[in-house]
Amino acid sequence: MSTDSEIIRRSRDSPAVFGELYDRHASAIYRYAARRAGEFAADDVTSETFLVAWEHLERYDTSRDDARPWLFGIATNLLRQHHRAEASVLRTAAKTASSEAIADDSDRIAAEVDAKVATGRIAQALRDMAAIDRETLLLYAWADLTYEGIAQAMGVPVGTVRSRLNRARQTLQAQLNLERPTETENHHGRPSAAPRDA
Amino acid sequence: MDDLQLLREMRSDVGSAPPATLARGREKVMAKVQASVSSASQRKPTVSPIRFRRRALFASAAAALLVGGIVIADVVRPGGPGTTAEAAEVLNNAAAATIQTSDPVVGPGQYLKIATRSVFGTGGQAANVSDVRWEETTNSQMYVPADRADVWVWNREPRLILDSPSEEAKALPDEVREAQEAEWDGQPEFVGILRSPGGVFYGSEPTVIVGTPLREAASLPRDPRALLDLIYERIKGAGKSPDGEAFTAIADGLRTGVVPADLRAALYKAAALIPGVTVTDRHAMIDDRTGIAIGIASSDGVTGANIVIDPASGLVIGVQSVLLKDYPGYPAGTVTTWTSLRTSVVDFAP
Repeated sequence: MSTDSEIIRRSRDSPAVFGELYDRHASAIYRYAARRAGEFAADDVTSETFLVAWEHLERYDTSRDDARPWLFGIATNLLRQHHRAEASVLRTAAKTASSEAIADDSDRIAAEVDAKVATGRIAQALRDMAAIDRETLLLYAWADLTYEGIAQAMGVPVGTVRSRLNRARQTLQAQLNLERPTETENHHGRPSAAPRDA
Repeated sequence: MDDLQLLREMRSDVGSAPPATLARGREKVMAKVQASVSSASQRKPTVSPIRFRRRALFASAAAALLVGGIVIADVVRPGGPGTTAEAAEVLNNAAAATIQTSDPVVGPGQYLKIATRSVFGTGGQAANVSDVRWEETTNSQMYVPADRADVWVWNREPRLILDSPSEEAKALPDEVREAQEAEWDGQPEFVGILRSPGGVFYGSEPTVIVGTPLREAASLPRDPRALLDLIYERIKGAGKSPDGEAFTAIADGLRTGVVPADLRAALYKAAALIPGVTVTDRHAMIDDRTGIAIGIASSDGVTGANIVIDPASGLVIGVQSVLLKDYPGYPAGTVTTWTSLRTSVVDFAP
């Protein structure tokens, strides 16, 4: 009975309804922000996201039923103000795993990368890439937005999302020393890790 | 394991927000929302109503010219259905049929039951980054008492995932649902029975059009032009295109299923006056019933919003969103969401 756009339309009329949008999405926004910049920043980013959303309610395109791309877009903008917090999260993550990486690396076969070791390298890769590429990648992997959703969130064409994701994943794969997926992985039903670029 | 899976696992131990944190945030947000509302209502309008209205008229006339041109160029395929004149005819006929079909009589102690069934396409990415799509459905029933000031009963059924085409499409929604269920712990429920005198759910009254609650439906003009002008005035500044917003406002009213026949007829005729409104499908199937779809394209021409009308009775049998352009995995013409309405008179509510 109520899509996000219906809630938004109704809250233009009866502001109390806006709370429904919060109840629906605050938790996901919080988790996304917490993963990126830590719990402390997430606290602020979550309520600020909804305050900004409220202030810009009239601009919401009500032909979009799902408000998540819009909300994650706002949250992503707000997270830019917390770039120090994010940088420190990534720095810490990169450090923790680096010593293990050296010890374990020689024993590892390319097909299987230990998740713990990988964490450090991923953190390093995320630090290395351009902010817009990182945002695109994390909206995809952590916020679970579709290509179209990311395009809406960041206000760019879908093609731009594809190329940013492509670039971000190349950086990531280079850091992880990941080769193109092997035959072994193929028969687990994971044909290709290569982005389907247009 | 591929790079994306590894990335997904990274910091996945960071948990959901503690309920207390979310509650505190909600309080903060809603306090600001309430404050902005009361300060807005304290501001006295500086323009007299008449001047205000005239300005709105000019604005919508200009928008009509612009949007009319764009929409026609974009949506109407040569030889295909959908001229504005045809839509006007369908809507006016529906209005006439509506007048002849009397509203169901709800006796004392009885309820008008409005059963809605919604189906929407949703999706996500599988581990191999392929897009997986599936459909979900939600059903709900609204029981409107004979005396509308009495207690309304709203039963909301849980989301159901419809048959999925592939193994992956079966696994992913389960995963998403589990994640959602975990996340929703301690959060307000969106499933189950709600009761409210006068149908005031979540603090908002049932409305016919923005700014007019159902109980004041009698105060709205029945003249289609005057009604449409009022709607343009109410939606001013909202959304991307005034015409699209006006159409949606009308569809929102109609889909409540409780708009009295004379006003319903006026809303049809008002919709017929909106530039860019066309017949989009003469045989639109919605929940096993066929009707005529009348719709308008979004300002970017990507999606279309349709009202599906039973031409014989003039009743709305549902609403739907349609893709107007190809999108990977979805060809143009795909119905992305729909909601059907079935109205009946019943003796009991749950």
